[in-house]
Amino acid sequence: MLADLNNLAMGLGIALEPYNLMIACIGLILGIIVGVLPGLGGANGVAILIPVVVVMPATTGVILLSSIYWGALYGGSITSILFNIPGEPWSVATTFDGYPMARKGRAGFALVLSFMSHAVGAIVGVLILTFLAPLIAEIALKFGPAEIFSVMMLTFSAFVGLGGKSPVKTVAAILFGFSLAAVGMDIVSGQLRMTFGSVTLMGGFNFIVAVIGLFGLGEIFLTVEEGLKVEGIVGRVRMRDIVDGFKELLLYPKTLFMGAIIGCWMGVTPGGATPASFMAYGFAKESSKNSKEFGQGASAGIIAPEAAAHGAGTSATLPMITLGIPGSPTMAVIMGGLMIFGLTPGPMLFKEHADFVWGLIASCWVGNFIGFFMVMAFAPLFAAVLKVRFAILMPAIIYVCAIGAYAVNNRMIDVYYMLVFGVLGYLFKKLDYPIAPMVLALVLGNMAEQAMRQALIMGQGSPLIFFQPPIALPIMLVALIIFFWPVISGWKDKLLGKKKA
Amino acid sequence: MKKADIVVALFFMAIGLILVFDAVRLGFQWGVTGPESGLFPFYLGLGLIVCSLLTLRTIYAKYKKDGYDKLLMPEGALKPILWVLIPSLGMVAITEFVGLHIAAGIFLGFYMRAVGKIGWVTTLMVSFLIPLSLYIAFDKLFLVPLPQGLWGGILIPF
Repeated sequence: MLADLNNLAMGLGIALEPYNLMIACIGLILGIIVGVLPGLGGANGVAILIPVVVVMPATTGVILLSSIYWGALYGGSITSILFNIPGEPWSVATTFDGYPMARKGRAGFALVLSFMSHAVGAIVGVLILTFLAPLIAEIALKFGPAEIFSVMMLTFSAFVGLGGKSPVKTVAAILFGFSLAAVGMDIVSGQLRMTFGSVTLMGGFNFIVAVIGLFGLGEIFLTVEEGLKVEGIVGRVRMRDIVDGFKELLLYPKTLFMGAIIGCWMGVTPGGATPASFMAYGFAKESSKNSKEFGQGASAGIIAPEAAAHGAGTSATLPMITLGIPGSPTMAVIMGGLMIFGLTPGPMLFKEHADFVWGLIASCWVGNFIGFFMVMAFAPLFAAVLKVRFAILMPAIIYVCAIGAYAVNNRMIDVYYMLVFGVLGYLFKKLDYPIAPMVLALVLGNMAEQAMRQALIMGQGSPLIFFQPPIALPIMLVALIIFFWPVISGWKDKLLGKKKA
Repeated sequence: MKKADIVVALFFMAIGLILVFDAVRLGFQWGVTGPESGLFPFYLGLGLIVCSLLTLRTIYAKYKKDGYDKLLMPEGALKPILWVLIPSLGMVAITEFVGLHIAAGIFLGFYMRAVGKIGWVTTLMVSFLIPLSLYIAFDKLFLVPLPQGLWGGILIPF
């Protein structure tokens, strides 16, 4: 553990370099703005800036990308509370109690509760990141293709079994993501798959374009549904709000802690900030003595989802740098950025680029810390961004998205794809197809397939290779249990129900 | 909602069929050196077809029970959405000819006038300034080449 603290100190040295610090602040500001705007979310906000970031040194680039993420995590709550418009998918749960509280005239108080809960979630997340990451990286070094594949299966099973949406639709979304990843040239054999002679399709589908379309344009379509009126409550954070907020927070230690833990769990076992926030809200409501207050402005209704969302976002870094599996869709985009730098996320990253990894971890500390003060001081300023007429904002957002989509590979077809993905994203959200696992499958598709093929070759064609102890077997078993959890949980309830009767 | 649900399920089934079809072409058995190219896509396609069938079955069962059909979009939502989608498509198409920044300027101006009903002065200022600043930021500062279109290079000589 001392070694970790030593490494953290080294990382802090890098993260606190003036240039990196300035970049972190720029990233935070951009991130908060992006968090406030619907349509420019954490995932595609980061995606759009990846082509820009390539000119920087890797550590600085990743600090910029992740600072945008931390900023977006904080920023999404601002409009949830003041406008009842979630700036980010993970801020939806905040609207349930945040907006009612603001309407009762306690907007500043709600904002303070939210930001402080975010900060606690961030602290728990970064602590877990700092101390667990090296451990997991050590274990991950022993991973072979079969183990890598089994961890990925665990990831996707978690979405299917615990995601809360129809398992069939979740599986379909995952398979669709894998299919998109498979289009193009097969890495192993060089054959062209699903291209049907088209040179364009040979390039396949890039996940950045998909993310911009699915999350960005899809969100815009959803926002436009309700019409273009955006009226908000004026909320300033006064000293009294800060004091009151702090005292209120101390009244709910269990809710706070539970939210942060759920968040970190959902970040580490890839799920992301969005499912984390909903799960935490649900838990808080179920386990509360006055659950009727939820939806009317209950403090716990803000504390739980906010701590969870930020905990998930921060701890999503953990599986990304140790196992190469992004913990959330936004982290998937950041991971894509890493790969563009030539850094392959995974256990080897700790060995070969320790300064980079610890610089990133340290910037998680620094970024979240600075971000907290930024939002507390300037929340109404950021909220004012939404006062710009929507008729100006919306085409501008699409313009920026188009830039992002084109800049990936300098192909016009990507911009057309972006539009198509936008429509798909809208349809999927309406029809309850989960998009997060789809994006993850698109990002991980080639890696997963390679791992599977290598493992099968090692196992001489027998799928039993995936069930070999000591590592692959337990992981696959847990994956299967989680995959069938809805069924198992139903059996469990029936058994217990019968016993009670 | 039911129609959209069915359409998307059929869409996935179509993708699944395409995958299986191509996988057969590539070969999905155990090859000389290992699994053939088509193995992964074959099972993906199969899985998609199965999921689509299951989804279709659920749709029929659910709507038989419920009886009514929830709307996909709330009342009057289609118009604003199409007002976003079609001009965006137009902007991308125009980009092929005059480049992204000019096309975006036209798009901004069109949307602000037609939908936002914003005054001419603001419209012209914004649709000129925003593309200009983004042009300077991306093309000049970040050196990220953005589409020039057929005639964009001539129209913007700097």
